[in-house]
Amino acid sequence: MADPLLEVCDLRVRFRSRGSVVHAVQGIDFSVEPGQTLAIIGESGSGKTVSAYAVMGLLPPTAQVSGSIRFKGVEVVGLGEKALQDHRGRNAAMVFQNPERSLNPTMKVGAQITEAVRRHLPLSRPQAHERAVELLRMVRIPAPQRRFHEYPHQLSGGMRQRVIIAIALACEPALLIADEATTALDVTTQAQIMNLLLDLQQELGTALLMISHDLALAASYAEEVMVMYAGRIVERARAADLFGNVRMPYTRALLDAIPRTDLEPHVLLPVIGGRPPDLSAVMPGCAFAPRCPDVRQDCREVVPPLERHEMDHWWACWHPCAKEAAS
Amino acid sequence: MTGHAGGTATAGQGSLLEVRHLVQEFVLRDYGGAKGGVLQAVADVSFDLRTGETLGIVGETGSGKSTLARSVIQAPPPKHGAVIFQGTDLVGLSHRAMKPVRRDLQMVFQDPFTSLDPRWTVSRIVAEPLAAYAIGSRANRRERVNSLLDLVGLDPATYGSRRPRELSGGQAQRVAIARALVLEPKLILCDEPVSSLDVLVQAQVLNLFEKLRSELSLSYLFIAHDLAMVRQVSDRVAVMYLGRLCEIGPVRDIYRRPLHPYTLALLDSIPNPDPAVARREADHVISGELPSPLDPPSGCRFRTRCPRAQELCATQTPEMRPLGADGHLVACHFPLSGAAPAPAPAGAQADAEPAAVKR
Amino acid sequence: MAAPVASLAMGVPGADPSAPQRRPRAQGLLRSLEITIPGAVLLVLLFFCFVWPLVYPVPSPTYGSVLDASLPMWSPGHIFGTTNVGYDNMARILYGGRTTFEVAAAVQVIGLVVGGLLGVIAGYAGGIVEAVMMRVLDVFIAFPSLVLILAIVDGLGQSELHVIWALSAFSIPAVARVARAGTLRLRDQPFVVAARLSSVRAWRIIAGHIVPNLMPQLFTFSLLGTGIIIILESGLDFLGYGIPDPAPSWGGMIAYGQTVMSVALSPLVVPSLFLFGTVVCLNLVGDGLRNRWGVR
Repeated sequence: MADPLLEVCDLRVRFRSRGSVVHAVQGIDFSVEPGQTLAIIGESGSGKTVSAYAVMGLLPPTAQVSGSIRFKGVEVVGLGEKALQDHRGRNAAMVFQNPERSLNPTMKVGAQITEAVRRHLPLSRPQAHERAVELLRMVRIPAPQRRFHEYPHQLSGGMRQRVIIAIALACEPALLIADEATTALDVTTQAQIMNLLLDLQQELGTALLMISHDLALAASYAEEVMVMYAGRIVERARAADLFGNVRMPYTRALLDAIPRTDLEPHVLLPVIGGRPPDLSAVMPGCAFAPRCPDVRQDCREVVPPLERHEMDHWWACWHPCAKEAAS
Repeated sequence: MTGHAGGTATAGQGSLLEVRHLVQEFVLRDYGGAKGGVLQAVADVSFDLRTGETLGIVGETGSGKSTLARSVIQAPPPKHGAVIFQGTDLVGLSHRAMKPVRRDLQMVFQDPFTSLDPRWTVSRIVAEPLAAYAIGSRANRRERVNSLLDLVGLDPATYGSRRPRELSGGQAQRVAIARALVLEPKLILCDEPVSSLDVLVQAQVLNLFEKLRSELSLSYLFIAHDLAMVRQVSDRVAVMYLGRLCEIGPVRDIYRRPLHPYTLALLDSIPNPDPAVARREADHVISGELPSPLDPPSGCRFRTRCPRAQELCATQTPEMRPLGADGHLVACHFPLSGAAPAPAPAGAQADAEPAAVKR
Repeated sequence: MAAPVASLAMGVPGADPSAPQRRPRAQGLLRSLEITIPGAVLLVLLFFCFVWPLVYPVPSPTYGSVLDASLPMWSPGHIFGTTNVGYDNMARILYGGRTTFEVAAAVQVIGLVVGGLLGVIAGYAGGIVEAVMMRVLDVFIAFPSLVLILAIVDGLGQSELHVIWALSAFSIPAVARVARAGTLRLRDQPFVVAARLSSVRAWRIIAGHIVPNLMPQLFTFSLLGTGIIIILESGLDFLGYGIPDPAPSWGGMIAYGQTVMSVALSPLVVPSLFLFGTVVCLNLVGDGLRNRWGVR
């Protein structure tokens, strides 16, 4: 059993803003094995993006981070900026949501890749150029030699995202974090990019951490799915288990809310009301209690811990959904 | 090129909205004002919408679906074609002549935070159309506004005096919906109304659309980029690509027996969390990138990415013609007909053939 | 098209965009020192220029005995000394300040109302109306400001009122430009489209939607421009084209101070400091408000 690539222990992130404190992440533990595909799902305010930023060391100075993030055994929390710059790009790389904002519009695409390459690897200019073209080919951009000399605005959204992926993979990091990487793309492009990411994973042995609000996307492409709510992990399972054997009522609600093509039209979707809680107060009990259809008294008093209740299936709930009958 | 509702109804009978050969173009200007190029955002689109039905229009970036919606409400008016609403052609109507029409035709926009004036209170926002048409006294208007806020699930006492920035995305969109309803319209154009909302809130608002539809006998023209969402609310669905209609038909048909290769590609791209449903290799059904809308491919605009494209597709633009079930039309020279065994789409029923499994 | 991504892009990470954000208005305003301190200084100045002479027997700025001529600073009865003909400098500062503020206020109001109206109409109407209006305004903008103002005052004759007209010719086109740009931006916003779709009349859209949303931007632009107006006005006075002697003005005092610079510095330094301080405070308040209101 290989050592985990990434180990997060009791990670807590707080932000101070204008006198109030926001508890964005309230103690999460998880690990990622080499080559694994893990998806972190949550709505706005769940803390998924903040967690990813913490792993990358990208949080602003206003963030107070406690807990441990170990990458290949090396602690990331508390590292100096220089060491963090090495860590980013070499160990872990991130792909963001908006390809327009991640690429410099005044610089040619190829130059941006070579810049990333040369920052971390001691390559000469022609070597870097070759590597850049190779990377463009790897992300399946047709005519890579020509594209090298083009500007971002000459490429489509999907191609720009491929360029971002190429930059992220420049130094063959062991972990690739995709933060809503396909949210801004068309459905068909999304499928193409997701398949590309999975193929690259197999080729390079990179672990993939997918951050998304789209549970269907995650369950469809990831091996394991972790659901976050109000700064905590509420369920973690293999993708297959999540659909057929969902336990945490919040995950159930997320699944129910997905519009499905096999349902009858004009049928009302099962929904729950309310909104995620305000993160400036740490509430007693389960954060989902105010909205949960199965809430009981103890839910409001004590926070349910995340525990492994079944093989490869963790959940944090005092009264989980019943096990669905095998169909 | 008619795309009427089907059945034995002839075009024009019972149709709330008839769009005929709609063309919308934008002239791009270089620096200095010289004509740079013409973007044909909507090219020869025709369809019908009957009273009481919901037509979903699906398309990705560059499909022209939002432009289509704007052309229907004449903001700006289309370059060519006709938009016949309740028997009157809206194209060419003056701003004043449109006034009575607008009572029956309203729109809900994608981002509620830009479609509501950030400085106005909720009550004032919803009451604005009533004031514009000078309907009722102040007291009457307040009553009507309150009843509408109730209808969309917002307590008037709590929310009436709030401003948009004090609302959540879902609440703000409800206000936008209330405003669209205040004049008692017959048809509401919904331009991606839930795309900017969180997943659970999306479901809530979609349910609201459904509830209002049945309670108020509304018709919707529902625009989305997501085939799954449109299925929930639609009676018929139309698929657009690069400004043209690819396929239009009853909702069950489109999803179970898609005829156009692009529709199939869209269906296959929908991620399905059910592990029993196989995930298709996306590259098998669609390849390449979206062509530039400034210089679309000749003939069928989808041919550069279509796995079934032949020479004919480049030389001749396919016309919309009926195929398959009643009211199902497709614009394709080599459609996926019901006769030949089509590969099973990911969103189809369980009795479809299992496709190549990726993982 | 995309679901909202939480967080860091919005400034308060982890904050739920679906949670209502209510900002305590007046409370926050008073807390930001960058606005309150310069604002307080300005208020004190205004008080001394307008209110103080009404309650305290300040000597007349245009009457004095030759026996008290050219007294230095800190002389008893004349804190800032006197001019070469015996006028009290402190009084001249106060009354000169009055003129400065009066002119600045008048020009700003005229600029906002006339310029704002012209700009909004041009921006909303578009087409030939916009084109004609903007070209006319361009003519005014094309002139170097001081030249334009000098020409107008020269033509009309020297007086406070004519100075106001002249400076307005400078501020109206500037405000109109900003108003037009803002209107163009607002006109395409969905809430304006929605209002048109509800058959709201054009003037109601302008009055109810466009102008209120434009006000923060126009107001801060005006405020920041007030400093320039004051400097221009003082420049006119300095050149002798503005407020006619013997009426006091800061620019005029600076001109006089320049002539006696080699002998005494205070007649030059004191009005300069007042001018400098006023403009700096105005700019600080304008900047602070612009930051607070998030105006671009």
